[in-house]
Amino acid sequence: MTSRRRARSPWADRTAPYLFLLPALAVFAVFYLWPAANTLVSSLFRWSVLSPWNPVDPASWDFVGLNNYARVLESGRFWNDVLNTAIWFVVFPLATTVCSLAIAIMIWTARRGGLLFRTIFLLPMTISLTAAGVLWALVYNPDYGSLSAIVGALGLDRLHVDLGMLQLHLGNWLSDPGRLDLGPLSIRFVNLAVILPAVWALSGFGVVSFTAGLSAIPEEHIEAAEVEGATRLQIVRYVVVPQLRNVLIIVGVVFVIYALRTFDIVWVMTRGGPGTDTETLGVLLWNQALTFLETPQAGEATAVAVLLSAVMVVGAAPYLRQLLEERR
Amino acid sequence: MRRHRGRRVPRVSAVALYGALTGLSILWLIPVTTVFMTSVRPMSEIRRGWWVLGGASFTLGNYATAWNQGLSSYVVNSFIITGLSVLATVVFGALGAYAFACLRFRFRAPLYFLLITTMIVPVQIILVPLLPWFQDLGLRQGTWQPFLGIALVHTGFGLGWAIFMMGAFFAEVPREMTEAGQIDGAGHLALFRQVVLPLAVPGIVSFAIVDFVFVWNDLLIALTLLGQDHQPLTVGLANLQSPHLAQQDIVSAGAIMAIAPPLLLFVALNRYYVRGLFAGAVKG
Repeated sequence: MTSRRRARSPWADRTAPYLFLLPALAVFAVFYLWPAANTLVSSLFRWSVLSPWNPVDPASWDFVGLNNYARVLESGRFWNDVLNTAIWFVVFPLATTVCSLAIAIMIWTARRGGLLFRTIFLLPMTISLTAAGVLWALVYNPDYGSLSAIVGALGLDRLHVDLGMLQLHLGNWLSDPGRLDLGPLSIRFVNLAVILPAVWALSGFGVVSFTAGLSAIPEEHIEAAEVEGATRLQIVRYVVVPQLRNVLIIVGVVFVIYALRTFDIVWVMTRGGPGTDTETLGVLLWNQALTFLETPQAGEATAVAVLLSAVMVVGAAPYLRQLLEERR
Repeated sequence: MRRHRGRRVPRVSAVALYGALTGLSILWLIPVTTVFMTSVRPMSEIRRGWWVLGGASFTLGNYATAWNQGLSSYVVNSFIITGLSVLATVVFGALGAYAFACLRFRFRAPLYFLLITTMIVPVQIILVPLLPWFQDLGLRQGTWQPFLGIALVHTGFGLGWAIFMMGAFFAEVPREMTEAGQIDGAGHLALFRQVVLPLAVPGIVSFAIVDFVFVWNDLLIALTLLGQDHQPLTVGLANLQSPHLAQQDIVSAGAIMAIAPPLLLFVALNRYYVRGLFAGAVKG
């Protein structure tokens, strides 16, 4: 086939792929590659968004080398935000995966009404996290929110627990619902209140993926297990979950990526507050460079962006490789 | 061997199973119900709790207030930004996906790798220098320039997804069909338009829906790049949302406006959307 095509018009065949790619690559280069490269280099300069350093004008350069990184790594706020991001990194993918896997298996087992249930759980996927933040701020409203009403009906609305290292104040969902002090680490539960809406919003993706994975499991495997007298939980544990391994990896990676770069929901619900209790790295770099455009902290913000991206690229490299191999 | 579907579960477990699913579904719908009920009731009644239905009155006044308080221009901006972005991403992405899926050329692997890194690297990597860069390109001010600018940023960021997803659909077009076209002497553009594109329409629609939802729902890029006159509804909503202002009635109406377009698309084209979502994660 290739030889026939070459014989037809070698020049057209050689240039055609690049012509097809030209518009995409032009936009990609100008609006992605250049800003991304700029971020890398910019993290070595001191500058602000209002008076940026200019690559062709050395007079505008205030080269500080790795100083931005040093300053970022020395600041308490950065490590506070690393802790909050770490809470996201652990809780969000775990909660969302477990939640959507359980729902998908239940729908799969039930069989009837699958479409209706799937639609309900998928529905929040179309809702922006901005709108989800608005929704959940209403749910969390201390005076007339649904959650406070539910907790109130259970008689737990003024529940305050103080065990020294563990404190719990139900009702103050977005101000101070409590904390768990582990030595120098203080895990603030308000982060969980911000993570929950994201779990709600994005579980649908897991439900769709797991449902597709479940429907690919050969019926005979399950029947064989049933014949051998396996209980339903054993079937799930030893037959179903192993078959879902690949889907689990993909869904897990997507959720981890999401957790690490989270911005929208935090921004809408708390702006990173109270104080910096819910500030994540994604919010930190926005605050550093873009809240006040004249503050010369854009270099530090780009340093945070580089660190964040580096962690994600290293962490997701196996996934990328798998994607590439599948498409070969 | 046929087994009656649904009979796998004994009756008692079935009741428990459907009970659990129904309970979870109700929990899942609480936030949407909350915002909808809040949006159609006056503030005085919201304060008593939206679930209190005694003496309830329903009104569309909150929507009128929200619309007149400036959300109308946010809605228009959202449609302009989303329309431009999806159009550019689909057109440029489809051309690119054709090259990657159906043609062989040098640098194919590294270029592909570069493009799909956008699926993993966070958008924050381009964010900070983008604002001065827009200034340099003259995309910061003007009536239409900021719209064009943000659409191209969305395009640059969405192309990886576009090429990945649409490429999967293009690759399913049988080789014999493109080869037959080549023997007939058709050029690549003709092959693309007359053979590949018509066969891949469902895939393109799937991607377009996923991209629409993605761009419509973006907050971070718009918040960073756009001034007051060009901001979409997500930014308007984020500005309205403040714990210190008692305007839940207006915010809720705004939230419903923000939710409606992607939701309607989802309801109308559910099949395509699910397929698109899944193709994004797992090879179709």
